[in-house]
Amino acid sequence: MVFFPGSGPAIHVLDLRKTYAVTDREAGVTAALGSLVKRRTKEVTAVNQISFEVAPGEVVGFLGPNGAGKTTTLKMLSGLLYPTSGTVEVWGHVPWKRNKAYLRQISLVMGQRNQLVWDIPASDSFELNRAIYRIPQPEFRSMLASLTELLELEPLLRKPVRNLSLGERMKCEIAAALLHRPRVLFLDEPTIGLDVTAQRRIRTFIAEYNQRYEATVLLTSHYMADVEALCKRVIVIHHGKLLFDGDLASLVERFSPYKTIVVQLEELQAVEVDLTRYGYIVSNIDGRVTLRVPKLETASVTGRLLADLAVTDLTVEEPPIEEVIEQVFSEGVTVQ
Amino acid sequence: MSGWIGIYRAQFKTSFAQQLQYRVSLVLWLLGLVLEPTVVLVVWTTVARSHGGAVGGYDAAGFAAYFIIQMVVNHITFNWVAWDFQERIRLGNFSPLLLRPIHPIHIDIADNITYKILTSVVMFPATIGLIIAFQPAMHPPLWAILAFGPALLIAWALRFACEWALAMVAFWTTQVAAINNLYYLVMLFMSGTVVPLSLLPFPVQVVAGILPFRWMMAFPIELLLGRLSVTDALLSFGVQLLWLGLSLGILAVTWRIGIKRYSAVGA
Amino acid sequence: MSYLRLIWVFFRLGIINVLQYRANFLAQLLSTFLGLVSALGGLAVVFSYTDNLDGWKPFELVGLVGVYFLVGGLLSLLIRPSMERFMRDVREGTLDFTLMKPEDSQLLVSIKQIEIWKLLDIGLGIVLLVVSLVQLGNAIGLGQVLAFVIALMVGATIVYSFLLMLATCAFWFTRVDNILVIFQSMYEAGRWPVNIYPPWLRSSLTFLVPIAFAITVPAEGLTGRLTWQTLAEAVGLAVVLALLSRWFWRFGLRHYTGASA
Repeated sequence: MVFFPGSGPAIHVLDLRKTYAVTDREAGVTAALGSLVKRRTKEVTAVNQISFEVAPGEVVGFLGPNGAGKTTTLKMLSGLLYPTSGTVEVWGHVPWKRNKAYLRQISLVMGQRNQLVWDIPASDSFELNRAIYRIPQPEFRSMLASLTELLELEPLLRKPVRNLSLGERMKCEIAAALLHRPRVLFLDEPTIGLDVTAQRRIRTFIAEYNQRYEATVLLTSHYMADVEALCKRVIVIHHGKLLFDGDLASLVERFSPYKTIVVQLEELQAVEVDLTRYGYIVSNIDGRVTLRVPKLETASVTGRLLADLAVTDLTVEEPPIEEVIEQVFSEGVTVQ
Repeated sequence: MSGWIGIYRAQFKTSFAQQLQYRVSLVLWLLGLVLEPTVVLVVWTTVARSHGGAVGGYDAAGFAAYFIIQMVVNHITFNWVAWDFQERIRLGNFSPLLLRPIHPIHIDIADNITYKILTSVVMFPATIGLIIAFQPAMHPPLWAILAFGPALLIAWALRFACEWALAMVAFWTTQVAAINNLYYLVMLFMSGTVVPLSLLPFPVQVVAGILPFRWMMAFPIELLLGRLSVTDALLSFGVQLLWLGLSLGILAVTWRIGIKRYSAVGA
Repeated sequence: MSYLRLIWVFFRLGIINVLQYRANFLAQLLSTFLGLVSALGGLAVVFSYTDNLDGWKPFELVGLVGVYFLVGGLLSLLIRPSMERFMRDVREGTLDFTLMKPEDSQLLVSIKQIEIWKLLDIGLGIVLLVVSLVQLGNAIGLGQVLAFVIALMVGATIVYSFLLMLATCAFWFTRVDNILVIFQSMYEAGRWPVNIYPPWLRSSLTFLVPIAFAITVPAEGLTGRLTWQTLAEAVGLAVVLALLSRWFWRFGLRHYTGASA
């Protein structure tokens, strides 16, 4: 990890841990009556000894299935939750102390929660934020102008928020979160429930914001497209544990268990020859054969194909990232 | 300082815009506010009549004056923060408030004041109507009339602080309604809302004297009715301010432990 | 009789749902108890200064308060929560689920939501009524009991129809989410016999928001004050309101489904 000389990491997390006590309830009337008298609790570990550091200006993606601990981690970093144990420092602040100076530098955007006031136009909520964050007028105006341009907010600003579609509302929420130009941006599932165009717009926007203002961005998402578009570095979390921390390319490189070879053959040959000798056949249409081959055998299989058959075209591909991630989850391998 | 003025100005604009959208609902809430003192007024006037005209120093006109002023004082001092708090937590709207660099109490203050201003448009004619219907009589000295304003203001602040501190119970339980009911029961009787304190049995009056509620309601009412001597009034102001200070302290403490609790469990 | 079975099903669901929460149970117990203390406390203070309120003796008023809790409990058990739920469904667009079910929509909407704890209020009301009857001792003949029961049923019908009409307004006024507050506030006034109120308030509580029929009239029945004339008027009003509210409901439903997008 290379940091800018003279400045430490923007975010420093060490052995972060968060546990909850949850009541154990069963269905049915007798169980319900029982719970009136005695209550059983069990302890759930949401985040289990996570450590990582983020340099200023980095965009990091958190990947993990539901309940993995991504949102909990983000809430601890933004100061909403305090951990059971461990250390967190963001630009030298301890988040859950919730210093005003700290709060002015960060922003948390949560997919389903709103900070915009429901019944009034978004621009009124922006004005309120301007006052609360004490943004000087000229800066506020220029920031609002660039946000309006980047997110295409012009037609939306004067409509009451309740009349906006989900995508439009999300854009306004993000704009509201960035008016005070936070140095650190926490995004929790920012594109959830949005249509493809809106998703793309928001991704482009976040990349621009990061570029222009050198903000550090931590992003959680289900959508690989979000992560692929924005994050060079990913952290994979599962069952509260950190499984992988590195760049996306090496994640795929290391964990893809197989590669895909696509060969273009003459149709007759594609039908007659027994291709299972080379690998698992995914599809075989009009002479275009897709084979799945264990990674280590890729070179040898490729060689044999070229030698044995009349190949007009051949490509070697990585499997879709989703499948790689699934692999990482199911094997639960810990790296780094 | 200018930062705060800016914040409040923006907050007021938001509250006004928002509440105006629900103006019919606002008026409906007022119904209860007007009806309750009317009902109690009639009951006590009936009692007075059957008791030979007056009860405990209040005749029909005296009761009318008491309860009409009570309606006004209640309108100015009441708030609904406990309900707001519970709703925010339930709907998940509380966390975003914690991320802002100002204390969430300021929103509630602005909302409260905005509501009072908007609804005075209706309360004013309602008060006139009741005055015509029930013919109150009172003889306050000038200094009492002047002192009423500050007493009312401190009463508002005291009630706001107490109920905001109470609202934090929402961090520990979802049964806020039950706790609120308990609070309101005690407040109804001990503040002079449903019956002038001097009509309560003596032991109850003693208890009412050591609770903060009479300084939220009965004190401003009795002041404006002209039933307090100057010494009484000055002493009362002193106690009122004492309670205000105490409740602000309790508010600060409960907020601190409340936030700790919220941050540990369910942000 | 499938209607009764339907009601029982919703009831059972309500019970299971609600037994899960121990704190809730205790809190509800507390709330009912507090309501009792408040009502009786008020009576106690009043009767420390006089021995009758416009002709009503202390234990007659205890009976009135009993009716107040009984009727209030019945309304808050099923009708009021269901109406509130209905209004919210209209606002949030989830009414369609109910409308697609193969049962009469008015019935479904009226029993959708149960607040099972209000059984405590109903129990309390009955206890107060019994106490009042015991203390009043004499002269509770069959006629009075009959008058009481009829007045109670008639009052419940009147109030149900009224609440239904108020709630039906939600088809048009989606922004007024607390329209039932009109009823709630005025119901509080029913804790005292409406005869003590000045004429303008008395008529409001009789014809505008029919609280009088819900509480005072049954209480009058119990204490032998009720004239057959008044009772007949009440029955007449109940029939008219039931028909009117049903018509208004169907009118509103047509408007809603016609305009839904």
